[in-house]
Amino acid sequence: MPLQGKVIGMLAQQIVNGITIGSIYALIALGLTIVYGVLKILHIAHAGVYAMGAYLGLWAYRFIPNLFLAMIVAMALSGVSGIVIERFLYKSMLDKSRIVPLIASIGLFIAMEEAFRIISGPYVKAFPVHFRQKPWIFGSVRISAPQMLVFGVTIALLVLLWWVISKTRMGKALRAVSMDREMADALGVATERIISLSFFISSALAGAAGVLVGVFYNSVYPTMGDIPAYKALAIIVLGGMGSIPGTILGAFLVGISETFLIGFVNIPLPRDALAFIVMIAVLMFRPYGLLGKE
Amino acid sequence: MKKWLLGSLIGALVVCLGIGTLFAAPIKIGFFAPLTGFAAADGTSAKNAVMLAVEEVNKSGGLNGNPVKLIVYDDRDNPKESVAIANKLIEKDKVIAVVSGSYSTPTRVTAPIFNKAGIPMVAGYAVDPSITKAGPYIFRNGFLGEIEGKAAGEVAVNLLKAKTLALFTIDNDFGRALSRGFHARAKKFGGKVVYEHAFAIGTKDFSAMLTKVKGLSPDLLFISGYYEEAALAVKQARELGLTCKILGEEGFDSPKFLELAGDAAEGVVITTNLNRDDPRPFVQDFIKQYKAKYGMEPDMVGASSYDAFMIVANAIRKAGTNPKAIRDAIASTKNFDGLTGLIKHFNKIGEVMKPVQVQVVKNGAFHYYGVISDPEIITPPEK
Amino acid sequence: MTVSITIGIYVILAISLNIITGYAGQISLGHAAFFGIGAYASGMLATRLGAPFFICLPFAIVVTGIVGAILGIPCLRVREDFLAITTMGINFVVQAVFLYVPFFGGALGISNIPLPSLNGVEMTKSVYLVMVVLFVLIAIVIDGWLTRSWTGLALASIREDETAAEMSGVNLTRFKVIAFVLGSAMAGLAGGLYAHFMSFISAQDFGFPESIVILSMVVFGGIGTLRGPIIGAIILGVAPEFFRPILDYRTLLYGAMLVVLMRFQPQGLLGIDSFIIRNVKRLWKKETVVNEISA
Repeated sequence: MPLQGKVIGMLAQQIVNGITIGSIYALIALGLTIVYGVLKILHIAHAGVYAMGAYLGLWAYRFIPNLFLAMIVAMALSGVSGIVIERFLYKSMLDKSRIVPLIASIGLFIAMEEAFRIISGPYVKAFPVHFRQKPWIFGSVRISAPQMLVFGVTIALLVLLWWVISKTRMGKALRAVSMDREMADALGVATERIISLSFFISSALAGAAGVLVGVFYNSVYPTMGDIPAYKALAIIVLGGMGSIPGTILGAFLVGISETFLIGFVNIPLPRDALAFIVMIAVLMFRPYGLLGKE
Repeated sequence: MKKWLLGSLIGALVVCLGIGTLFAAPIKIGFFAPLTGFAAADGTSAKNAVMLAVEEVNKSGGLNGNPVKLIVYDDRDNPKESVAIANKLIEKDKVIAVVSGSYSTPTRVTAPIFNKAGIPMVAGYAVDPSITKAGPYIFRNGFLGEIEGKAAGEVAVNLLKAKTLALFTIDNDFGRALSRGFHARAKKFGGKVVYEHAFAIGTKDFSAMLTKVKGLSPDLLFISGYYEEAALAVKQARELGLTCKILGEEGFDSPKFLELAGDAAEGVVITTNLNRDDPRPFVQDFIKQYKAKYGMEPDMVGASSYDAFMIVANAIRKAGTNPKAIRDAIASTKNFDGLTGLIKHFNKIGEVMKPVQVQVVKNGAFHYYGVISDPEIITPPEK
Repeated sequence: MTVSITIGIYVILAISLNIITGYAGQISLGHAAFFGIGAYASGMLATRLGAPFFICLPFAIVVTGIVGAILGIPCLRVREDFLAITTMGINFVVQAVFLYVPFFGGALGISNIPLPSLNGVEMTKSVYLVMVVLFVLIAIVIDGWLTRSWTGLALASIREDETAAEMSGVNLTRFKVIAFVLGSAMAGLAGGLYAHFMSFISAQDFGFPESIVILSMVVFGGIGTLRGPIIGAIILGVAPEFFRPILDYRTLLYGAMLVVLMRFQPQGLLGIDSFIIRNVKRLWKKETVVNEISA
């Protein structure tokens, strides 16, 4: 194959790789940004819900041989746990200083990880899914079945989210609450229910991401939430805290940068630091994030 | 009168029993490993193996008639905790020897402490070179990175006949040492390294690097790393359509690697410590007992820690309970039959000299592929 | 002995973080970075240039203070939530620098940092402990002076309501930077003490989890008070030793404790208007009343 063709092929493959990672980041970070939008809380335990989703998916898959159904079960249960966290924890902290829910969230995250380890063991668990679909090959670009799964689920969920937020009354109420909670309350919006709803959506998305990661990397383990915890924060900041399109953009930006930097430059980058570096770089030009508002 | 006689008889019996228990005083050996936290899997594996060793020793009457008591601490792979643990083992528990079932950081932080206190320590699998340099009381049962790297290079070029080579090196001292040894040996016999990339621990996604490698079509890909990264790299490599031979090292040596990589692990060759097909019965017994007791296959970490303990036990058998004498006995260990091979001896600074096992994954399990015992490769450096 | 020295170092760290987060109200999730900078500065000066301890320590304090000032200035222009994440980011970047820039020793870190010695005689652990206690007392004195000074007053006004403070003529940036510099310099002191005591330091000692440990000590005891961080550091520092028997559940309990604490007693055990303090005050009042009646 001529050199240009090879290079373009490799570039295209790297883009595919980057979008795959970006999709997963998007699903995780979206939940975080929605919670922040509504409650102005940095919900670090979100990463714990993500890991829990992976475990739930693994467990459900044992009884339900269909991966999609297992994922829906995991998403539903994760969503419910999100509501539980909101009701029993954050609700009572809304009027306190910012540090309080932050530390509570961190404590919860630590406790969740340990709970996973104690219940399920410290070892990495496999999530073996047999894909019958053969990989798609366009020239030297190869999209494997797991990658197709990630793309498919992400697109489906993003479309669903977009539809809920912009086309339904619930979605409008959610946007109102994000903009100004007190005002929305005064205008008669059922703020409490909307808050619970937003937690449900966020946690369900995280659960889905957990299952996808578990399947894609064939590994589920107690500390799998560590890196997403930090990275998702950097992503929502660089995308614009509370902005859904900004977060999606930020997620893909980080995913593709990571892939390109590693694919084309020979530095062993600590991937967590990279997300923060990109974040700082973006903040220098746009102090409220890519699509953030005042 | 009779009562007085009975009383003194009972008294004498009690005294005798008391003295008797003094003589059957348990032999206290210290052990630390990461039992909770992210490194819990390896630490637990090491602990399980060493507990098995302790049971075996005690079942056959203990050491010189005295039972062995293993004092276990969890260091969470945290240097601060391990310093506290070391001081505890020395001052409070008063152990006469220590086995490290932990990673490099806790081992190397505590090595000078044990050395200063005159308590011998044998490290099971920690790889940092500075550990044994802490002093004459510190020994290591595992391979130095550079030696294993040289062995890997030998396997790549001379056993697997690969000419063009790619490397994924884990970005820590062990990985770098492996790389150095690999380069040196491979170059000597005409191998050519066409790509090398270092990756951080915890990397989950190798697609970028693998795409690069695919474009270069080398004969062999040498990956250094622990089983999580290894399994992911191998799996993603096969998914991406990479068909070259894959060579790994002791980090791959775990049933977890096989589980996580699935079919992709087939045909992968590794340099390591434990030969599953080892004809020696006590090796097969260990594998069977471990599986029976813990429900999973043993791995390199467990086998190395087991051997480290047995080396200490053996030394105590020969030299008694004086730490300095134990230290001397360990240093003069020769041709010790360990799980991890025939341990020839420990050199001047406490590094072990033993052959490198080469295993291949066939039908989902590790099997014998070869062994490297060329002294040119396996002799550890003297300083 | 080891435990006492470690607790002493953590007391200093907790007090230093309290100055930034408790007094000035600036959420810092990356305090371990300053701890690390102090440790590396002191350790490297000792091992690379062979400087004696009593030069390394002030060096560490000064270097960390300067870095605190440099990092503090852009940090402080940023809004509260951004500040939390930015300080976290600083922690990661600083840690990455220590880990990847070979000048700092890489993954192996710095080793063989000597104990301080006078005329060739190495300090014993007990003497080191005395020295640490001395520094703890100095930290407490500085803290006490701070709260009673004009600076302390200004910080309190900033903490309560930034906009109002600004309107009253308080130069926000100046005082925030002062708090940052003071807090980070003190953390640098703790870092130096840590380095010479442990004799080995590496990047993994100073990551985000470490920042959380320090923050939870401050919060546990009572943020914004002097007694809070001290008690928090002592209790949380000693706790691991008592919890060794239930080894496996230690970390779980730690996380649960943070959750429960924040849920029911967010001002900390001995914080302003906490359960314990209120009851102590009540008992105290009762006693005084009884005394007056009987007098």
